[in-house]
Amino acid sequence: MIKKVISVVLLALVVIACSSSDGGESKPKDNFDRQTMLVNWADNIIIPVYQDLDSKLSALVEAKNTFTVTADQTNLEALRTAWLNAYKVWQYAEMFNIGKAEGIYYSSYMNIYPASAAEIEANIANGGYDLGLANNQDAVGFPALDYLLYGVAGDDSAILEVYNTNANASGYKTYLSDVIDKMKSLTETVLNDWTSTYRDTFVNSAGNTATSSTNKLTNDFIYYFEKGLRANKFGIPAGIFSGGVLYPEKVEGYYNQDVSKELALVALQASQDVFNGKAYNGTTNGSSFDDYLDYLQTITDGEDLTALINAQMNTARTQIQTVNTNFSSQVENDNTKMTLSYDELQKVVVLLKLDMVQAMNISVDYIDADGD
Amino acid sequence: MKKFLSIAAVAAVLFTSCSDDDNEKNNVENPATYTFTRNGESTVNFGGQTTRIAMATELVSALSDNTKTKVQLQAMFNHQAGNADFTDANLNSSDKNVRSKVAASNDFFASNTTVSNTIKADFDAWISEQADNVFVSWNVTAQAGVAGKLQQLGSTTVRYFNAKGLELNQAVAKGLIGGLMADQMLNNYLSDAVLDAGSNMANNDNDVVEVGKTYTTMEHKWDEAYGYLYGAEENPESPVLDADRFLNTYLRQVNDDADFAGIADEVYQALKLGRAAIVAKNYTVRDAQVKVIRENISKAIAVRAVHYLQGAKSDLEAEGTVDYAHAFHELSEGFGFVYSLQFTRKPETNAPYFSHEEVNAYVDALLNDNTNGFWDVTPETLDTISAEIAAEFGFTVEAAAN
Repeated sequence: MIKKVISVVLLALVVIACSSSDGGESKPKDNFDRQTMLVNWADNIIIPVYQDLDSKLSALVEAKNTFTVTADQTNLEALRTAWLNAYKVWQYAEMFNIGKAEGIYYSSYMNIYPASAAEIEANIANGGYDLGLANNQDAVGFPALDYLLYGVAGDDSAILEVYNTNANASGYKTYLSDVIDKMKSLTETVLNDWTSTYRDTFVNSAGNTATSSTNKLTNDFIYYFEKGLRANKFGIPAGIFSGGVLYPEKVEGYYNQDVSKELALVALQASQDVFNGKAYNGTTNGSSFDDYLDYLQTITDGEDLTALINAQMNTARTQIQTVNTNFSSQVENDNTKMTLSYDELQKVVVLLKLDMVQAMNISVDYIDADGD
Repeated sequence: MKKFLSIAAVAAVLFTSCSDDDNEKNNVENPATYTFTRNGESTVNFGGQTTRIAMATELVSALSDNTKTKVQLQAMFNHQAGNADFTDANLNSSDKNVRSKVAASNDFFASNTTVSNTIKADFDAWISEQADNVFVSWNVTAQAGVAGKLQQLGSTTVRYFNAKGLELNQAVAKGLIGGLMADQMLNNYLSDAVLDAGSNMANNDNDVVEVGKTYTTMEHKWDEAYGYLYGAEENPESPVLDADRFLNTYLRQVNDDADFAGIADEVYQALKLGRAAIVAKNYTVRDAQVKVIRENISKAIAVRAVHYLQGAKSDLEAEGTVDYAHAFHELSEGFGFVYSLQFTRKPETNAPYFSHEEVNAYVDALLNDNTNGFWDVTPETLDTISAEIAAEFGFTVEAAAN
């Protein structure tokens, strides 16, 4: 009997040895509870982020209303503070390019940078603009405000003159006001869609198809990390995609000259919080990529991807902390610190875009053109 | 007991049949030439590689033309579409250039742009210095600390060196063999991350071709690796070698050394079989060929590195008049091949045989640790480096030297 068992085991070994050489391994069944993860994302992260962004934009609207009545230094500074507070929350919101946000190209109207000073000035000079036109995507949103609040003239007193004594001062005030109102109304549209109908659609799409919520949000998350964070904030200014030609004027918050690092660190923290399922308003960790990967690790006896990804995100953070608060001057003076940050972020991208999606059996729905 | 033995025997037979299968490459037939078609049309395409080899060829020639300006040389290295940088109009209209693909492989440099920039800057510096320091000293006699010309003994050949004795055109040419050709081939186009990127495998399995093309993306990536070795051949499907002044020619030279005879055919057979395996959707066979190619292309670079270091050493140790022109020419070629070692690829790993840091240490030992570079380098240093390279690759210094 025992011998028979041995023979069966031996034959089984042979069969396994032979079939594995064909590379046709079948994966264990994935029974992870996606819906619990979707509920955590929607109720504890995405909707709270939009609610906070909406409230920060309300504060921005108020500060703007005060400033357009009395354009003085105090009100300018209050307006700038409100801008930065909202801009930091935006770093979380930018990655949720799904539902209404995707449909109305929300992020394209909120954070395309560098803003075009020429287009903004032309809009102000000519009036009669439509801020909803695709042409105006680089004349609206946070980057347009960066220009209007910091770059529209050489120093603060000159900036205040633009809004007070300039021949077209009212045109500048109106444009400032219109840009902020537009950001507020777009955000309300997205938030209201989530709280009225889209939340249920989102959490009930718990399958694994290209259009399922998990698949789409996973792609959004990775896309944000790769493009929004790695490429836009570091790679493009540092000349990674331009044969070494540097673009110090393409950093986020270029006119402010002091926030590009802060925004980048918030973006990294936002990514890591979403990865770990951390509630936006609080410290509880709910279901997210980390739990999904831990589950997959136990059923496949694979690598501890959660630990690897968190460790590499931490390494990237440490590297980014060595960069000057003003990325623009960092690019001009010692671009190496920018490329080293880019390199550490790229290592995260590889873990997310190859290892994580492979483990989750999700296809990346965007590709980079490469090769000859 | 007997029964157990019989079971063991049966199992052994089964194991054997299993491995026999491997020996027959899982029934992937290796075609006679690198010719692949779909519906009667060729699926092989590597125009971009042919273009870059041609650009590199013109650049290296221009580095020996002292009427060229620094700006002209830099423009040939970092060509922008439409600029009249080359004699060949097709190259001028091309949107490709050499510089963007130096130290630019997915596996080694996608997360290492900082080192990539450093390497590109080395090439920039060699090219600029040729114009700045060597072209202007075209009629000066070179000596320690002085850039200029030296004529080889018993020959009309004149060589041009920088103040450290380095022939910069050789540093560029031999550096490109690693930095452009080997890196793109071994660490980019033969990389899993590139061959299997996105939906490449599913598309290849289902014969989904690229829009408007006859080939799948995976087929094309493999062809691009092929093109960096054979892209300048007149009939690339049946390469004869000596078609360029880069990897193609130096693979032939290594193959001509009896100690390494057969290496060129091994590479060709592996490239053909790997491509046939992609057509047959057999990725096990494909991956086995990647290992063969990585090992042999890497070895060819290492053999030439040791060969030239040893050639220079015997020149420097000659009794009577030392032929510095010839010695430094060989040393410069050796320098370029040593530099290229950081782009080699150890099969089964994600690493080169010698890291960027290890190569930099060799660069310093040859060129920077002494005040006057090659003028001060000792035979002992050349022997030490030669021995370390040979040992890492598992051949002998003697085998590479002769």
